Amino acid sequence: MKKSTIKSNKQNFLEEGFKGDIFKHHKKYLGTDIPEGYFEKSKSLILNKIKENIKIEVPKKAKKQLVFWMRPQFKFMAAASLVFILCLTVWLQSFNKVTVLEETNFELFAFYDTILIESLLVDESEIEAFTDATLFNEILVKAELSEQKLDNLVLDNLISEDSLLYNYIDYGLIETLVL
Amino acid sequence: MDKDATLIKKLKNVTLKDTAFSELLDTYQERLYWHIRKIVSTHENADDVLQNTFIRIYKNIQQFKSKSSLHTWMYRIAYNESLRFLENNNKKRYDDIDTISESHLEVLFEDEYFDGDEIQKKLTNIIARFTEKQQRVFQMKYFDDLSFRKISEILEVSESTLKSTYYTTVKIIEEKIFL
Repeated sequence: MKKSTIKSNKQNFLEEGFKGDIFKHHKKYLGTDIPEGYFEKSKSLILNKIKENIKIEVPKKAKKQLVFWMRPQFKFMAAASLVFILCLTVWLQSFNKVTVLEETNFELFAFYDTILIESLLVDESEIEAFTDATLFNEILVKAELSEQKLDNLVLDNLISEDSLLYNYIDYGLIETLVL
Repeated sequence: MDKDATLIKKLKNVTLKDTAFSELLDTYQERLYWHIRKIVSTHENADDVLQNTFIRIYKNIQQFKSKSSLHTWMYRIAYNESLRFLENNNKKRYDDIDTISESHLEVLFEDEYFDGDEIQKKLTNIIARFTEKQQRVFQMKYFDDLSFRKISEILEVSESTLKSTYYTTVKIIEEKIFL
């Protein structure tokens, strides 16, 4: 058992107050100790940690100023360019549709002269029916016929290709046989 | 007080802040350490909390409005950081603890930097049985040598209550220390 360093007089136990040296005071009454040179080391450690904290905080703030990886002065130019490109795209698309529509419309209304003359002779009350019939004949029927023509063309092509192939095979075979 | 006012001015000046902060460490580091040490018990814990305290002081010095003294403000930060440390470490709310557990005293007595004899252990034990407020008042008055006015600002308790609490704790110690 360690010998007490404090006076054993019960009435004076806490009489001796703080006398300037906080470390000695704590050691005397509470038995607490610290490593040698602790406060110098601790000071350096604290100052270094603060410097590290500042280094981490400054890049974060710098990053926040970037917008889409660009400096703020370029963000307005970039935004304006983007808006211009979008508007141009939309306008061009709508322009093409109109052209196509006009072409289509032009095609649709390119009727034969006979139909036009006939339309002059048709009674006003029957003009609607005449229009429907004409449209049906001129557009739908014609479209169907042209599609059929296309199918025939494709089929003919296939057949002729096949026949050509057979011809080739025949010639090849003869050639092989001869040689 | 004037010395503190000058130091505060320098700390709020961007160019002089680092030099002033070094000066602040020289003046208050040891006092804050012992204040923290008595709350968190071991040297290692006190070292961690001390670093966190000064980092917090550095970051928040611009917001310091001189409503209290610099010393009081720093003590309050140290006190709050110590409580936060205990809450995180003990995984329970510190304001529910009125008495320190046996395991806490065991940790204190087993600390590498506790070198107390029987009477010092006994004193530590008696203080540990006080309520949290009694402990803080006694330690700040007797070991940290703070005035009742400053303790009142830190703990936000009236001076009259503090005086009453302090003299009660002194009486209990005097009665129990040599039992």
